Amino acid sequence: MRQGFFRRNATMVIVLGLIAVLGVIGWITMGQQPFVRTALSGLTIGALYFMVASGLTLIFGLMDVLNFAHGTMFMLGAYLGWQFYTNPTFLFGLFPLVLALLAGLVTSPILRGAFMHLKVSEKAQKTIQTAVALTGIAVIVLAVRGLDILGLAKTAMVATMTMGNPLAEASAQEPLALFWFRPVLMFIAGLLLATASARPGDQTQVVYASDKRRAWIITGSLLVLTVIATVFRESAPNAVLLWNGNLRFFAALVVGALCGAGLGAAVEVSLIRPLYIRPLYQVIVTLGLAYVLRETIQVLWDPLAYQMTRPPMFSQPGKAENILAWFSGQNLTVDVLGVTFPSYRLFIIVLGVLMVIALGLLMNYSRLGMIIRAGVQDRTMVEALGINVRRVFTIVFMLGAGLAALGGIGAAPFIPVQPNMGDAFQLQAFIVVVIGGMGSYSGAAIGALLLGLARAFGDYLALKYSLSPAIAEASTVIIMAIVLLVRPAGLFGKKE
Amino acid sequence: MDNILEINGIHTYIGQFHILEGVSVTVRRNAITVMLGRNGAGKTTTLKSILGLTPPREGTVTYNGKEIQGRRAYDIASLGIGYVPEHRAIFRNLSVMENLKIAERKKGDLESKSEFIFGLFPDLKRLYRLPGNHLSGGQQQMLAVARALVADNQLLLIDEPSEGLAPILIEQMMEAIRILSAATTVLLVEQNFVMASKLAEHYYILDDGRTVHEGKMADLVEDKELIHQFLGTALHKGGRS
Repeated sequence: MRQGFFRRNATMVIVLGLIAVLGVIGWITMGQQPFVRTALSGLTIGALYFMVASGLTLIFGLMDVLNFAHGTMFMLGAYLGWQFYTNPTFLFGLFPLVLALLAGLVTSPILRGAFMHLKVSEKAQKTIQTAVALTGIAVIVLAVRGLDILGLAKTAMVATMTMGNPLAEASAQEPLALFWFRPVLMFIAGLLLATASARPGDQTQVVYASDKRRAWIITGSLLVLTVIATVFRESAPNAVLLWNGNLRFFAALVVGALCGAGLGAAVEVSLIRPLYIRPLYQVIVTLGLAYVLRETIQVLWDPLAYQMTRPPMFSQPGKAENILAWFSGQNLTVDVLGVTFPSYRLFIIVLGVLMVIALGLLMNYSRLGMIIRAGVQDRTMVEALGINVRRVFTIVFMLGAGLAALGGIGAAPFIPVQPNMGDAFQLQAFIVVVIGGMGSYSGAAIGALLLGLARAFGDYLALKYSLSPAIAEASTVIIMAIVLLVRPAGLFGKKE
Repeated sequence: MDNILEINGIHTYIGQFHILEGVSVTVRRNAITVMLGRNGAGKTTTLKSILGLTPPREGTVTYNGKEIQGRRAYDIASLGIGYVPEHRAIFRNLSVMENLKIAERKKGDLESKSEFIFGLFPDLKRLYRLPGNHLSGGQQQMLAVARALVADNQLLLIDEPSEGLAPILIEQMMEAIRILSAATTVLLVEQNFVMASKLAEHYYILDDGRTVHEGKMADLVEDKELIHQFLGTALHKGGRS
């Protein structure tokens, strides 16, 4: 069996061996300090690349969707996570509206059952559908018109975290007496959109009793949640602001990732799913979505670059002698093998490694992972076994978007938060995916590692020999070219 | 209900191509029914149309008295239909165990069936941990059949199980299908006439996307002219065309 292990993982062993050999050469020629510093920077970038690329590769491998909005998810994760960290008023104020809209939308199967038997001519069906959908959108506009928290989005970005008075950033919201009609309108808008998607009068549809039952349950629980979210929308932000800064930061990581995942699910269900028969349109839709989301962000937050403050855990002045000393001192920098390195970046490396491990466990030891691996090879056969592949698609899209958003909020404390922050990562992530092989998450891990290191060492060499910094950027493309020459399907690509 | 499956005049398109132009097949419970015909006659498409992988545009597919055409494939399969596709479409990057495990529809399916499966295909027990791409062609075919046995399926759609197998393996495969057909109904697509004639009780002949002949296998074996007309050289070469 041992022999089999090496044969099966030959590529992995060769690539890691190559990196190790290059590392030893680098260590000797560069000297310890520059080498360690460069390698750590490379690992930091590599960790972020992985978080963007892993979702991209799974989505492409399983669904054949080239998601050009993936970098946008990265950016959104940064914005939304940061909002939660500095001033969650905006998020909590918006939450009831989103829940109310969802509650309306999920009634689709119930409405389908109710309206499909209406006697409507085929021509009128289309008109009704369009008219109802447009009315729904108009109602949404009506519901958010004059919403004061939209302006609050910006205040969070210039917030200074005052230790003495954490509530200094909390802002007043409109009273419930004024606010209540917004979730109600959103629910109505959801119902209208659900009606449109239910295609009234189309008698060829099939409605299952189980779907209807599930829709009733989900709608009911979402409505309850809406009421709770509406009532607590003023006290919740204050409660969060009173939390310890570190706790709030980790919560922000989770919230950013969840927002990304939720948005990913919404995108898959509403935009990608109807287009599986037209793959090219999917690419165009994701590209368009990327632009729309970026413009929306610019409207809400202005086209500015912001800098997120680091959580207290990584910002105490001074240098920790080693990692253990950091745990008690929580310093800004840590001494690693003689190199002074920001502790926050070490955290990103750890986060990246944890994600590699978590995703590895998920892919290799869970039923979902098994289905994804099988689906990458032959999704028709997976469906023929009685597995709802479409639902797996949604889950994978959520997972990918969530990971990208996590990367975004993770990166926010050390790269500028701006509307196009995801673009460079998306481009590099595409290269990672091509190098690693479409659909292979371990390929994404190795590719991200390779590219991150190439980037960092390229920068180092460019600086040392006063070459153009473009060398570092080109190095990733050169690696891709070499890999494609040797293995056209990528390092771990199997799909023909 | 004697008939587990009734296909009535289905028309199926793949892209713009009109592949099935009225196929009607009835599968009697607890028997082996075989679909014969030349390459491109529409046999595989018929199986896929039953499962909803290539949904028929016209006609009805009735399973256990319920019309199932137009439903999603996973939904149809969940009603208890197992599918063994042609070309041994196993998941090559999954281990033998995972290939079987993924076919579970409820927890414990594999455990309760493993004795039966290993009884049919003892090889699979030995290869249990190996990835699918390490298996030989015959072993892959056995795995593909075994995979369809994991869940509680009442009907198995088996597409060319003998394809590309050595004669001794064909014998083994025939024996396995005979044993499993004691508990399950089988709809078989087979080009190997010798194998088909030994296994099946009822036959349908498809030609150019239509059902052109049907009857009892025992009668067909006698009718050399009919065999020659629709199955061409298949018989003369003692099997494959």
